[in-house]
Amino acid sequence: MNRVLVVGKGAAGTFSSWLLANKGWEVILVGRGTPSTAMSTGCLRSQPNVCRSEIMEFLNNEMMPWTYGSREGMSKIGTSYRCWMSPPHSTWKEGEAPKSVAVVGLEGHPSLQARVASATLNARGIRAESLILPSSVPSDVPLAASLFSDESWETLADELQRQSAEAILLPAMVALEDYHQLDILELRSGRRVLEAITPLSAPGQRLGDIMRSKAAGSGVTIWDGRKVTALDVRDGEVRGATVAGGQEVRDILIDAVIIATGGPLVDGLALKERNISDPFGMFQVVRSNDGLRGGYDSSNGMLIASDGHPMNNVAGAGDCLSSERREYGSGLTEALEGAYLAVQALEGS
Amino acid sequence: MRKDVLVIGGGATGAGIARDLAQRGVECLLLEMGDYCHGASGGNHGLLHSGARYAVKDAVSASECAAENIVLKEIAPFAIEDTGGLFVSLPEDDPDFVDLFTTSCRSAGVPTEELTSKEAIACEPGLDPKVVSCFKVPDGSVDPFSLVQANMDDARSAGATVLNHCAVSGMTVQDGRVVKVEVRDRRGGLPSSIVPELVVNAAGAWVADVASMAGCHVPMGLDQGSMLVLDGRQCRHVMNRLRQPSNGDIAVPNHTSTILGTTSRLARSPNDVAVSKEDVELLIKEASAMLPSLRECRAIRTYGGVRPLLGGGGREASRSFAIMSDDKVDNLLSVAGGKLTTYRLMAEKVSDRVCEILGNGANCRTHLEKLGPAPDPKGGSISSARLRRKYGRAATSIDTADTRVLCSCEQVMRSEVTMVLSKGDALTLADVMRRTRAGMGYCQGFDCSLSVLEVMIERNQVDPVPSLKEFLEERERGLTQATGDQLRQEILRRHVLRGVYGLEGKE
Repeated sequence: MNRVLVVGKGAAGTFSSWLLANKGWEVILVGRGTPSTAMSTGCLRSQPNVCRSEIMEFLNNEMMPWTYGSREGMSKIGTSYRCWMSPPHSTWKEGEAPKSVAVVGLEGHPSLQARVASATLNARGIRAESLILPSSVPSDVPLAASLFSDESWETLADELQRQSAEAILLPAMVALEDYHQLDILELRSGRRVLEAITPLSAPGQRLGDIMRSKAAGSGVTIWDGRKVTALDVRDGEVRGATVAGGQEVRDILIDAVIIATGGPLVDGLALKERNISDPFGMFQVVRSNDGLRGGYDSSNGMLIASDGHPMNNVAGAGDCLSSERREYGSGLTEALEGAYLAVQALEGS
Repeated sequence: MRKDVLVIGGGATGAGIARDLAQRGVECLLLEMGDYCHGASGGNHGLLHSGARYAVKDAVSASECAAENIVLKEIAPFAIEDTGGLFVSLPEDDPDFVDLFTTSCRSAGVPTEELTSKEAIACEPGLDPKVVSCFKVPDGSVDPFSLVQANMDDARSAGATVLNHCAVSGMTVQDGRVVKVEVRDRRGGLPSSIVPELVVNAAGAWVADVASMAGCHVPMGLDQGSMLVLDGRQCRHVMNRLRQPSNGDIAVPNHTSTILGTTSRLARSPNDVAVSKEDVELLIKEASAMLPSLRECRAIRTYGGVRPLLGGGGREASRSFAIMSDDKVDNLLSVAGGKLTTYRLMAEKVSDRVCEILGNGANCRTHLEKLGPAPDPKGGSISSARLRRKYGRAATSIDTADTRVLCSCEQVMRSEVTMVLSKGDALTLADVMRRTRAGMGYCQGFDCSLSVLEVMIERNQVDPVPSLKEFLEERERGLTQATGDQLRQEILRRHVLRGVYGLEGKE
């Protein structure tokens, strides 16, 4: 059996792990910290050009169905947000925008600054008013659906029912297992319930949770809170890796690696100047002025060694690769497509 | 609108003049085109000079600094941290400079105390053990925003009218007098022209531009200096290199950060503040020669200022100041040069001239009357000391029962923002930041700007998207040289602001 080490627990890392496990590889997924995927809006901006059905299968889940197509939602500050795939309460089909919205904020809590969002919406011609509810949630505690009891969901529904607005914009707060609360709220209030498009919040967490459980469900071994401190590379091939976490340092033998460590990468981190050793320092880096597009150089999904030759069994995917076409906000689709190509490259090698 | 004296410029000098004149009973109006400290008063390290830095080359400025250092510690203790300063020389520095330094300090009236290397390291543990000589001087760190705001508040309560976001756009000169001054007002409510008896041009780096509106010439050198903000207080004292003043000599612990500075190059205009990659590398290299651990610190942002220097620019130019009038125009005084440390002295001399012209016999009192309270001698709580440092007298009007935190990097409470907004002169997000520090930390306003905006919208009409763009563009200018962890933070910030919210920043 071939053993592959995948570095990075974001979209590129979990999707490639899932794909490889389904193809019969023994997969070890290593990562630490919060990946950008879990900080994202939890939506895909652009439609994938390759592996669309694999992505849809990967993200499919029972608790939260997805909507696809030309979708539009409202960002946390009230600006328009367009995407291809989103949770059902995040967006509407383009052209079906609500004419009036009540924006729900909790007094003093930063989950949704209702006055900011309503002012922007009004300036855009969408009638909006803010509905500020009293709150006992401290401002530094992230708002979560679990803070609401069944009664408080009912009280909220009653409050929303009294609003004249056609739709309600709520702070993003429901975790995957609470997603059904939004459906119930919509039924009880008789208003279209929308979740503000909010990065660094519940929607990204939900997406991360779906991806992670999918990977784990297909047999991937996940090592949390650990990092790769060294790779054993000989003759254009990786043979092993050192993985460290806490007191434990473990050397493992591997047949392949996928690097999916996210960006920005080594080129901007000034590791050399700070005397920090880089376990992936043997791979070529393409530098970029804005830090967004720089990253590891690659050829058909494989990373390039410092001698200029492509590696035989080291693939890369996602934001850690250099990309000329990457735009702010477009990384997620690119990461998923890249993961698919990286897996194809490893399978072909 | 008729006024006795129109003061142009809301930096430290203008603020000091408005306060001084108001205390002497002169009716005056101060106009500032941006916010207070718009120019060099905000674009400096926040170093309260002892005079030691200028002792060898610029004895006049050194003794001015030495005297004002004592005065400011007395009248504005809230805005100053009496950290003390160290001058240290390293093996590569010229040993002969040390004697020159001590004799010059003595003749300029700057007290110095020599420390052995062992004593120096004991009081400044991060110091490179290779230190050769070390002298302790009464340098300190000063919060220019808090100091200038206190001057403005004091001027107002003595009867002056102070308006920020009001730019002077033109002057009409008739028979050798400025008879009318045109104003472009961002805040609304001010007549479009003013008829002053006397105009005081304290526009800092813009002093020549303002003088030229009246057809006068002020010989000025504009000199850009770059600064780098490091996270955390990395030294206890203001750190100076003991050598001929050169680039990257200074590190100042200020609030929650350490500010490294500065560099020196000719500036093409008062707005030519851009910081280059080379400046940043030089600042880190030079400062870490004194404090080696600085190399590993997280650099939060860079900023630049343009020094208005007398005559030419550069390190050779005098840091002293001059009051200039032009034979062509009787009622226009221009003041230029000087340091933040000597702002009060400059204001006193200008006000003396103004009073002489107006026939007002009152004496200066700005060195006698306090601008605000001293820190609590019993220590007080950390948060009350922090509030006093930022707001001086106004700290007592903050509702400390409301402890909701709005900016988590700088631990700014919502009640601080509401207090600042209630004064009526904070119109933009950046204005609130200068007063509260909300937005000056790690995330550079990414996290707190929405919460500050929410409070601003609650009080008056603010259009959120343009306000956010204006603020975030300004913050981004300080992040063009970001590396390391701050670069990670910056890319995340841009993903959210541009990618998700659709706010295009400047490239």
